[in-house]
Amino acid sequence: MQMGRLLNYRVAGWGTLLMVLGILPRFGISSNLTRLLFTALVWIIASVAWNLLGGFSGQVSFGFAVFYGLGAYAAAMGINGGLHPLAALTISGLVAALASVFIGLPTFRLRGPYFAIATIGVSEAVRVVMTNLSFTGGASGYRIAEHGRFRPLEHYYAALGFSAVAVVISVWIHESKFGLSLQAVREDEEAAADIGVNPLKAKLMVHLLAATLTGIAGGVYARYAAYIHPQGVFGFHTSVAILLMPIIGGAGTVAGPVIGGFVYGLVQEELVAAFPQFHLLLYGALLIVIILFEPRGVTGWLVKLRGFIERIWRKSATASVS
Amino acid sequence: MGWIKTGDEMKMKWLSALALVGLLLAGFGAPNATSNPAAVAAKDIPVGVVLPLTGREAKPGQFQKEGIELAIKQINEKGGIFIRELNRKLPLREVFYDDGSDQAKSAGLAERAMSSDDVVAVLGGYSTALGEAESVMPDRYQTPWITTGAAATSIFNRGYQWIFGTLSPVDLLGYTTAEFLGTLVDSGRLRKGLKVALALENTDHGVDYGNGIKKWIQEHGGYFTVVFSESFDLGSPDFSGLLQKVKNAHADIFLADAHLQDYITMHRQYVQAGLHHTMISYGARGPETDARKALGDATDYIFAGIWWSKNLPYPQVKKFVGDYKGFTGREPDSWYAATAYEAVRGLAAAIEKGGALKKATIRDELRKLDLRESLLPGQVLRFGKGGQVDTPFVIVQNKPGGRVDLVYPKDATNGEAVVPPAAQK
Amino acid sequence: MDAADFVNLLVSAVLLAGIYAAMSVGMTIIYGVMKIVNLAHAGFLMLGAYYVLELHERLNIDPLVGSVLAFPVFLLAGMLVHWTLVKRIPVSDQPTLASLLLMFGLWLVLQNIGYLIWGSSDRSILTSRTLSSMHLGPITIPTVRVMVFIPAVCSLGLLEFVLRKTWYGRAVRALMQNRYAGRLAGIPVEKMARLTFGVGIGFAGAAGGLLAQLYSFSPDFGHGFLLRSFVIIVLGGLESFWGAAAGALVLALVETFSILVVPAGYQPAIAFSLLVLALVLLPGGIAGIFAKKHRWA
Repeated sequence: MQMGRLLNYRVAGWGTLLMVLGILPRFGISSNLTRLLFTALVWIIASVAWNLLGGFSGQVSFGFAVFYGLGAYAAAMGINGGLHPLAALTISGLVAALASVFIGLPTFRLRGPYFAIATIGVSEAVRVVMTNLSFTGGASGYRIAEHGRFRPLEHYYAALGFSAVAVVISVWIHESKFGLSLQAVREDEEAAADIGVNPLKAKLMVHLLAATLTGIAGGVYARYAAYIHPQGVFGFHTSVAILLMPIIGGAGTVAGPVIGGFVYGLVQEELVAAFPQFHLLLYGALLIVIILFEPRGVTGWLVKLRGFIERIWRKSATASVS
Repeated sequence: MGWIKTGDEMKMKWLSALALVGLLLAGFGAPNATSNPAAVAAKDIPVGVVLPLTGREAKPGQFQKEGIELAIKQINEKGGIFIRELNRKLPLREVFYDDGSDQAKSAGLAERAMSSDDVVAVLGGYSTALGEAESVMPDRYQTPWITTGAAATSIFNRGYQWIFGTLSPVDLLGYTTAEFLGTLVDSGRLRKGLKVALALENTDHGVDYGNGIKKWIQEHGGYFTVVFSESFDLGSPDFSGLLQKVKNAHADIFLADAHLQDYITMHRQYVQAGLHHTMISYGARGPETDARKALGDATDYIFAGIWWSKNLPYPQVKKFVGDYKGFTGREPDSWYAATAYEAVRGLAAAIEKGGALKKATIRDELRKLDLRESLLPGQVLRFGKGGQVDTPFVIVQNKPGGRVDLVYPKDATNGEAVVPPAAQK
Repeated sequence: MDAADFVNLLVSAVLLAGIYAAMSVGMTIIYGVMKIVNLAHAGFLMLGAYYVLELHERLNIDPLVGSVLAFPVFLLAGMLVHWTLVKRIPVSDQPTLASLLLMFGLWLVLQNIGYLIWGSSDRSILTSRTLSSMHLGPITIPTVRVMVFIPAVCSLGLLEFVLRKTWYGRAVRALMQNRYAGRLAGIPVEKMARLTFGVGIGFAGAAGGLLAQLYSFSPDFGHGFLLRSFVIIVLGGLESFWGAAAGALVLALVETFSILVVPAGYQPAIAFSLLVLALVLLPGGIAGIFAKKHRWA
């Protein structure tokens, strides 16, 4: 019964959001807003993905740009090679998944901050290599040869579709036994092993899922931008963005990364246009406040707000009765 | 971090998420009235400008912005551009975006200008990297784009139909540099058979520069040999490894291609390492005031191949220098402002010739443009087949006491090229 | 490559090692005593650089003097940071993610305050020493590198002296071994933590001032050095500063001599790869990373 009620609210809530986003472009919103929403949706894919590893499983990676970048290049090269976009994006996911195994196997032996630092090292090393690799364009970047008219809605719906997939995966994991085992790994890896969870296998599995989704996000972005370069898609600031969004939104929750992605994608550009360097200051300060006072981020605050409203509601209800 | 939420909490979150999204959308997106600029009564001509005012390329970006704004100011002082179709003059209006020297932002802002700000054209893209990113947008949104600061041939040989650039190709820069050194050999000031070490920035700009130099050397056997050629990443704080290799190569001439910041950093470490070469160049960088300030007389005798110099002996150049000084309070620093100024001039001429604010018309007129009294070397502004101009380069050399002399080509010089005496202790 | 070139490289590497060691010492102290991975170290390096720049430009104070002056200022700043931020997160014998993320947030804030105040263009310090070099036969040494090496090594020596010979130093070493036992032994742990954090930041600021004389810097400064500091800490171990010095020497040697075989473009990858290799492969020596018992708060 409880599960049924849960699923009903969930489906209703997410479904409504999906519908709203789906029909918005048809209602003639400005092309600028479509572009911003597209950006937000791509970020949401990566944000939800990171949250699977960082929020659910507690493995904080500072190097997700490596998957984003690999996915971007894979898709770009695939499309230039004549592949259908969906096929190219599949390759993005596969390449990123493969990379996640190579990266995860050695680094998952490390705990906490050491894992985080190792991921920085890996991501930056890949960036340097890509900057010097001539067959992918090196520092000059890589360009997709565009044919035919540019259809922004095509990209928009691709982003929307994949972010929906990401959220569905996120909800599914959250509610499943697998999600419980990830939680166990997050809280205490040794105890989890004691009760029969294989921490390494769990981490590798979720890492693979997260990497695949992030790679697809990179591919969707690459298709849109038609020009990518190592400093951008493999850059440290991309890794930072991918981790800031879910943490600020609320790591470990399902909605947190989505909220974070919307805020980052939509508000970001207006902030950047007005104060080019200001947005990171804001996020840094938010991060500090969140770590110190509300680890569940914006979601946690919303929950507190809801509790506050509820208490006032109850008080006024009992007052009116007596 | 998070716990598993109960159903009610989830409900609250979705409602709040929806509310949040709704608020944001309300704030940002109003339905588009119409996207046809001609239908709305035009009261000015919006021109998009996307340049870096912050970030690594801030200084040159600012100079280019000044060049653009000076040109717009002068045009608007005369009432604007006469549009035959509307039978009146309309002023130019700058729609400016700072891309923070970031390629992704640069592309996004160019896209924004073209798709939602209804500009008739976009100017910008300072530096090859930002230009490459922006160059995807013009064909996509069928809006003319003139880059005032990107010169790599890779941008212009992709068959794009809507792009133009007021900078000559960088391989010609390399070629001219080698040609200039060749004249020093011919006049006996340099020996034949000298060894050249190349340090190229890891971009298309650097690749083109290297190719231009190697092409000239190949065509003129016996003059020089390249004994070392490697590329480096822009933005490094430490070039000592590279410079050590240059040292080991024992060359006579050091030719590097770098951006302004890297030129300053590299040359400082060059001097600290006790390196010395008979002739030194940093590509298109050399006379910048920032470099002089940071390095003092270590910049003496460095020469550069640049797209424009304030010492060009044309009357329109003199006038421009005076106007610029009046506008900003200082003289133009190196070439940056001039190419941007010319881009506006060219665009204005194309708009006027076309007689309408239609982007395709403007693009066609830009293709046919033949504008005289240009500031650029050669005095003609004409876009080549791929959209890039083909003006010759000039070589300038830093002289002691803060002087900068034009030393090549012969008909434009105002000073003699100097081969500095061998290293003093 | 002849003998003179080789010696030049070697001298270069040693000078670089001294600077690297000084740069990472601040992070090592904070990590050793409080098990906090101080990502904001990069931010304080940057602020130290700008501090020395401003002293030089406004008050004409020599950058070496400025670096020394930076130490007390940043010590106090570090103590303030600890009092307002760090002491609020749960402490542990193992590094926590909360502390990592907190320091990361602080780094973002510092970096962007830097942008707001000083803009994003590169700055550098030009003194009469900057462009000169010393010649010992065929060997050329940039003067400024020597001038920076000496205070760097002196500060390390001073630190080693403090650690071995003073009460404070013994208390620090005790806490590095076992925080709870230290409390039992009567060490005022909170006060020590605050002071030690301050010392770590003090070293960061002074190191930043030293680095500012060698490199150009912008508010982005410190990112590359941060990773190098990790490498040094991981390579050299956490128990002693001789370990950090050894780690610095290894890194400097690898970086300097690798240019002979590796194209210049791949150079940054050396530090990153070393970092990953060190973290993943280094057995035993870095016992804390692979220890069986792991909880993070």
